[in-house]
Amino acid sequence: MGWNKPLPQVTEISAPFWDGLRKHSVRIQQCDKDHWIFFPRTHCPHCGSRSLQWRSVSGAATLYSFTVTRVPTLPEFTDEMPQLLAVVELSEGVHINTTLVGMEAADIRIGQALRPVFDERPGTHVLLRYTAIDSAAPQVLRADSLPGQALAPPAPLARRQISCKDSAAMQSLVSDTFSAWSNQIEVTQASIDQFAALSGDDYWIHTDPAKSRTDSPFGTTIAQGSLVQVLISRLQLPLDYEITGSNNMVNYGSDRLRFANPVPSGCRIHARYRVKAVQAVKSGMQLTMEINIHVVGQERPSVINDLLILYM
Amino acid sequence: MGLRGQAALVGAAQYRPEKYASAPRMFHLEQVADLATQALDDAGLSLSDVDGLITLGPQFHEASMFVPAMASEYLGTRLNFAEVVDLGGASSVGMVWRAAAAIEMGMCDTVVCVIPSRMAPTAPDDDHAAQVMRASRFGGHSTRFGAPEAEMDLPYGHMAQNTGYAMIAQRYAATHGYDAAALARIAVDQRFNACHNPQAMFFGQPITVEDVLASRMVAEPLRMLEIVMPVAGGGAMVLTRADKATHCRHRSVKVTGCGEHVHSKSPTYAADMLATPIGPASRRAFAMAGRTPQDMHMAQIYDCYTITVLLTLEDAGFCRKGEGLEFLRTHDFTFNGNFPMNTHGGQLSFGQTGSAGGMTQVIEAMQQIQGRAGPRQLARHDLAYVSGTGGVMSEQGALILEGA
Repeated sequence: MGWNKPLPQVTEISAPFWDGLRKHSVRIQQCDKDHWIFFPRTHCPHCGSRSLQWRSVSGAATLYSFTVTRVPTLPEFTDEMPQLLAVVELSEGVHINTTLVGMEAADIRIGQALRPVFDERPGTHVLLRYTAIDSAAPQVLRADSLPGQALAPPAPLARRQISCKDSAAMQSLVSDTFSAWSNQIEVTQASIDQFAALSGDDYWIHTDPAKSRTDSPFGTTIAQGSLVQVLISRLQLPLDYEITGSNNMVNYGSDRLRFANPVPSGCRIHARYRVKAVQAVKSGMQLTMEINIHVVGQERPSVINDLLILYM
Repeated sequence: MGLRGQAALVGAAQYRPEKYASAPRMFHLEQVADLATQALDDAGLSLSDVDGLITLGPQFHEASMFVPAMASEYLGTRLNFAEVVDLGGASSVGMVWRAAAAIEMGMCDTVVCVIPSRMAPTAPDDDHAAQVMRASRFGGHSTRFGAPEAEMDLPYGHMAQNTGYAMIAQRYAATHGYDAAALARIAVDQRFNACHNPQAMFFGQPITVEDVLASRMVAEPLRMLEIVMPVAGGGAMVLTRADKATHCRHRSVKVTGCGEHVHSKSPTYAADMLATPIGPASRRAFAMAGRTPQDMHMAQIYDCYTITVLLTLEDAGFCRKGEGLEFLRTHDFTFNGNFPMNTHGGQLSFGQTGSAGGMTQVIEAMQQIQGRAGPRQLARHDLAYVSGTGGVMSEQGALILEGA
C-alpha cells in the first residue's frame, strides 16, 4: 500500500539532508564560525554567515520535549495512535521535530538519550525517527518492521453457562462496563476496494487515494462505515458467557448503528462489547449487545452497534 | 521614547461568539463595515471621523492583497494610515499599538481596527473557498513548497497548535514540576467569570476542577477543557487622539505602554521553549508606561491554553520563573478574587473567535476601565495589562491601558 501521509517536498537547499538520510546518515549544516544549523538554510541564523558546509554527525540526541497524542493531529496518522511526537536536541545543540518509535509512552523521559532510526517505509523518502539508546528497535525501519504487536485473538475465557429461560441470570449479564478488547485486524485498501466492488459503494472518498489526498477532508481514503461494521465477524470478542437452552438464535439487526469516526485506510481496528439490556419479548429473550469498534489507540469508537440477538 | 498616552481607545463592538455552523455567513467587507460602524456608534464617533484603518491581512475573504484599499473603498473612508497586521492571536494587541503610534506621530486622528471572523458565503464554483477548506485541514501550518514546516513537521504529524503547547507544558513539567489541578483552576475561575457575562459562549455552564481533570486528554498533558474552542465572531476597536477622546461617549482608555516580540514560528526552534516572547514584550510595555506588574488592577491574558496563561504570568513578571504553579495555587482569578484575570471568561470560556479572539481581551480591558462590565465590574479598574499570543508562543504582544 502507498504511504498515505504528507511527505517532504525536497528543495535545492534541503536536498543534502534528505540524501543523507537515504544513506542512513544524519547531515546538518555548520557555518564558518562553527555554529550548527537546523533546518537547512543558505545563511547562519546565529551570525549571518553565508559560508555553510554540510557535515555528517552521529545523530545522537537527547529528548528535549514530547507529547503523547490521544486525538490524531491529522486523520492519516490515526494508525500511529497514540502518536509519540517529540523534539530532540542533537549533541550539536540543534532541535529537530520527529516521532519516537519502539518506545512505550509510559517509559519516555525528557533528557533521556536517543539514537536515530532511519524509516524507509514511505518508499520515496527516508524519515528520521528516534528511539531510546537501549531500545530493541531496529536502526532501519522497513515495511515489515512495524507494527511488531501480535494480532492474535485473546485467549478464550472460561464461559459461564446461562440458560435463556433463567430471567434473573440473563439480567445479571447487563453491565455498564465494556469487555476486554478483541483481536486486531488491519483495514487495508485492498479490502476497501473489494467491498466497493461487492457493495457498489465505490465513492472516491473510499477508493481513490490520489483524489482523497488533495480533496478529502481526511487527506486519505477511509473505509466504508458498513465495511467496518461487518468486519465484526472477524473480530473475536472475549465472551465470558454462553447462552444455553434456546432452540434458535437469531441476529435480529440493530437498535442503533452509528459511524461515529472514520477509519482511514491502513488502520488496525479492534472491538469490545457490553450487554446493554436483556428483555423478555413475545418470541423469547432479546439481548442487546453494544459493540464498539475502535481504531487501535483511539478512545472514541468508529462504529457503535447495538446488536439485537433473539434467543427463541 | 515610546507612547505618551496621547492616543486612546474609545469604543468597540464585537459579535457574540457562535458556533461556525449556526453563525450568519457574511462577506468580510460586510463585516468590516458592520463592526466598524457599530464600534464608532459605541464611541460616539462617525465614519467621517475615520482616517486610519487596520485590518487582518491573511484570511481576508475577498482579497489576499490590497485589503485596506478595498475595505476603505467599501467603507467610504479616506485614509491617512492604512495597514494590515499578520500576528495571529497577537494581531489585536499589535493593531492597538500601531494605531496609537500612528496617531501620536500625527499620521492620523481616528483609527478603526477590525477583524472579521465569521465565515463568508460561498459560490458554487468558488475555487478560493475550496482552497481554504483544504488548507484548513492543516490549521496554521503552511503546506507550501519551501515552507520549513511543510518539509520538517508535517511528514511526522507535527501539526497545528495543540501538540506544540503540549510539548511546552511537558518541558515545563520536567523543569519546574506540574500541578494539573492548579492549571485546571485557570479554566474554572474563568468559567465563573463567563457565567457573569451573558455574551460568553459558555454563559450558564459552570465547571469544576474535577470536570477539567476528567475531560478528554487531547495531547498529554493538555485536556479538552484547557483548550479553546474556535468559534465564529469578530470585532472592531476605535482609537482616537486623547484630546478628541474626551468628547467621546465613554471614559477614554489611554494606551501608555506596548511591546512586541517575535522569534520563531515553531517552539521547536526556540533556544529555550520556556522563555516566551511575552517576556521581552511585557518588559518593554511596563517600562514604557512607568508601571510594574504589581500596579495592575487586572490582567487580560491571552489564553488559548491554560499553559499559555501560566507562562505569561511568569514571563510578564507577575511572579518569578518557576513559581507560577505556586502563584496559581495562591490566587483567585475571578472578578471577585485577589488577581482578576480574563474577567470576561477568557477565550477558554468566552469563545475563541478566530483571529479576533485576542480582541476579546482588549475589549474587556477597555470596558472594565470604562466601568461598563456589568455584573463582573471590578472596583479597582483604572489599570490593565493585556497580552496577545499568536501561533505557538511564536509572536506575542503586551499593552498597558490606563483610564483617563
